[in-house]
Amino acid sequence: MKFLKKLSALFLALVLLVTGLPVLALADDVPYDTYNYDYWENIVRIPAPYVPDGAISGVSLNCGAFASPQDICVAPNGDLYVADTGHNRIVVVDGTGRRVERIIDSFENDGEQDTFNAPTGVCVSENEQLYVADRENQRIVVLELDGTLDRIVRDPQSDVLPAGFVFKPLKVSVDYADRIYCIAQNMFQGILVFETDGQFSGFFGTINVSLSLWEKFWKKIATKEERQNQTLYIATEFTGMDIDESGFVYATNIDEAGKQGVRRLNPRGEDVIKKGRNEDVGGDLWTSGSGAYAGPSQITDVVYRGEGIFSLLDRKRGRIFTYDHEGNLLYIFGGLGTQEGTFTTPVAVEQWNGELLVLDATRAEIYRFAPTEYGSLINQAVALRYDGDEALAVPLWERVLELDENNELACSGIGKAYLSAGDNKTAMKYLKLGMNRDYYSVAFKRYRSEILRDHLGQALTIAGVALVVILAAAQVRKRTRNKKAAKKGGEQG
Amino acid sequence: MKAAFGKDKWQYLLYTISHPVDGFYWIRHQDRGSVPLAVLLVICFSLCFSVNRISASFIVNDVEPATVDSLQELSGVLLLYGLLCVGNWSITCLMNGSGRMKDIAIAIGYGCAPMIPALLLATLFSQFITVEEGAFYYLIIGLGVAYAVVVMLLGIRQVHDYTMGKTLITLFLTFVAILFILFVSLLLIDLIGQVYNFFRSIYTELVFRM
Repeated sequence: MKFLKKLSALFLALVLLVTGLPVLALADDVPYDTYNYDYWENIVRIPAPYVPDGAISGVSLNCGAFASPQDICVAPNGDLYVADTGHNRIVVVDGTGRRVERIIDSFENDGEQDTFNAPTGVCVSENEQLYVADRENQRIVVLELDGTLDRIVRDPQSDVLPAGFVFKPLKVSVDYADRIYCIAQNMFQGILVFETDGQFSGFFGTINVSLSLWEKFWKKIATKEERQNQTLYIATEFTGMDIDESGFVYATNIDEAGKQGVRRLNPRGEDVIKKGRNEDVGGDLWTSGSGAYAGPSQITDVVYRGEGIFSLLDRKRGRIFTYDHEGNLLYIFGGLGTQEGTFTTPVAVEQWNGELLVLDATRAEIYRFAPTEYGSLINQAVALRYDGDEALAVPLWERVLELDENNELACSGIGKAYLSAGDNKTAMKYLKLGMNRDYYSVAFKRYRSEILRDHLGQALTIAGVALVVILAAAQVRKRTRNKKAAKKGGEQG
Repeated sequence: MKAAFGKDKWQYLLYTISHPVDGFYWIRHQDRGSVPLAVLLVICFSLCFSVNRISASFIVNDVEPATVDSLQELSGVLLLYGLLCVGNWSITCLMNGSGRMKDIAIAIGYGCAPMIPALLLATLFSQFITVEEGAFYYLIIGLGVAYAVVVMLLGIRQVHDYTMGKTLITLFLTFVAILFILFVSLLLIDLIGQVYNFFRSIYTELVFRM
C-alpha cells in the first residue's frame, strides 16, 4: 500500500511537471508569430527579434486622428514625415515621437495659397528637401523643409508614354543626385524617372511578363475573338521603394508566384538582387491552403536598413521579412489582428532610431517595434559580416546560439571563424550545422590533408611491410611446392 | 530453399552480369536463375538506396535525413518491381514474347545487382571527397545505373527472344500498362470503399432505429 501511495505521488508530480512546462516555455509574449525557414524550408520558431513598443497616432500627437495615411518617411535629421492622405496634409513628428514639429497643409505657389489633394507618397532627400506625391493634383511637389515651394514636377512628356496618360504619382523616392523615382498609378512599364530639372527621362526597372509554355500554347491556338476575351497578361505594378546609400533602388511588387517580391535595381535599371540559397525573396515559402489567408505574400513596401539588410512588409499576412545582402532570411515577425503590434492594413515600413515603424492605413496608426537582444545581435553580426569583420562577429553569434540553438547563420558564422583560426575539425562541425556546403568542403579539404600529412608516413610504412611479407610468403610457398613436386617426381621416377 | 540461394545460383548471377546475353539465354532455357535471389537483390538495392540517401557525405548529399524512411522506400521499390514484372508480362504475352513471369522477374531483379556495389562504393567514397571531386561520386553512381540499365535491357530482350527495337517498344507499352493497372486499382479501391460505406451506413441506420 505504501508503495502504491509513493507511486501515485510520483505520478502526480510527473503530471504536474509535464503540464506546467508549456507555461514556462511561453515567456515570449508577443501577439504574432516569430519564425524563420531552415535549409530544408521547414518553419522553425525563433525568439522574438522585435517586440511591440507602442504606437504613434494623430490622437497621441494631439493633431487629430490621421485619415487613411499612406506613407511615412524618416528625414536625415531624425524627423518622421507622415503623409496624412485623407486630410491632405503632411505631419512632421519630432525625433521622440511624442510631439508634432509642424504640419504642412498648404504652401505658397506663384503668390497664391496652394494645397495638396490626396498626398500618397512622401520622401525627404539627402539634400533636405521634401518630395510629396500629390496624387489627385497629378504632380510631385518639392518643398524646402520649412514649407516653401522649390519646384513642381508634372505632366511628363515623352513618346514612350501612352496617349492620354494621366500622371497620378503614388510613391516617390529621391537618390543622392536628386533624381526622382516615382511609382504612378496604372503605369505597368516601370518606375518613372525624372532628372533633377524635373524632365521625364524614361522608365526604370520594367518587370517583364513571363508566360509559361502552357500559356503560350493556348495563346497560339486561340482565335482572335477568344484572345480579346482573355485577361491581358500585364506586368505587375511596383508597390513601394527605398534607395540605399550607393543609389541602388529597392522596389517591391506583388508577385503572383511569390518568388520575387523585391528588386534591387542598379543605375541602369537592371535587377541585381541576390536571392539567397532558397532562390526566393518573395516572403513566405509556405503559402498553400485555402481562403483569404492563403496564397503568396503581397509585398507592399521595403526599407533599406543599412549594411545590406532590408525588410519587406507583407500586407497579406501582416508580416515583416528581413533579409541580408545575400538574400538569406534573417527573421520573420508580425501578423494581422486587432491587438497592439498587429495590423489591419499595413502599407509602409521605415527604420527610425533603430526601431521599425509600420504604418497601418485603416487604423491610422504607426506601430513601433523595438529590437530584442536576439534581434539586435543578429543585426550587428550581419552588419559585421557585411563589413568583412567576421571574426568580431563570433561572440555575437555565440550569444545568438545560446538564445536559438538552431540558428544556421550563427553556426555558419562561427564555423567560418574556426576555419580561419585553423581549427578545421570544429569548423566542419559548425559549418555542417549551418548547412554551409562550400565552406564545409574547404574545411574538410584542409582537415583531410592534415590527416594525410600526419599519417602518410605510418600508412606507407605499414603498406611497405605488408607488401614485403606477402611477397616473401609467396616465394616461400613456391619453393616448398617446387621441393614437394621434385620429391614426388623423384619418387615416381 | 537451398536450391534458390545455392552456391551455383550465386555463381551464375555473377556470370549473368558479366555475360548478360549468354547468361539470360540459359536462364530462359535451362532454369539457371532463381526468383528468390532476384527478389533478394531488389531488396538489397532498396536498402543500399536508403543507405546512400542517409549516409552519403554532406558534401554531395542534399537529402533531409528526417525524410528518409527505408521501410517506405522498400515497399515503394517492391511495388514498382511487381508492377514492372506484371506490366511487362501482360504486354509480352500479347506480343509473342517467349519469357515466362519468372524469367522477367529474374531479368529485372538481376539487373538491379550492379547498382548495389555502385551505391555502396559511392557512399563510402563520398566520405573522402570535397565539392570539387564530387564529379567522381556522380560518375560512380552513373556507371552503376548505366550498367544496370544495360543488363536489364539485354535480359528482357533475351528472355523474350526479341530484337532491341521491339524490346524498347514493349517497354514503352509496359509503362502504359503500369499506368493502366494503377488507374484500375485506384478505381477498384474507391469502389470497395463506397460499397463498404454503403453497408456501414445501413448498419448505423439500423442501430439508430433499434
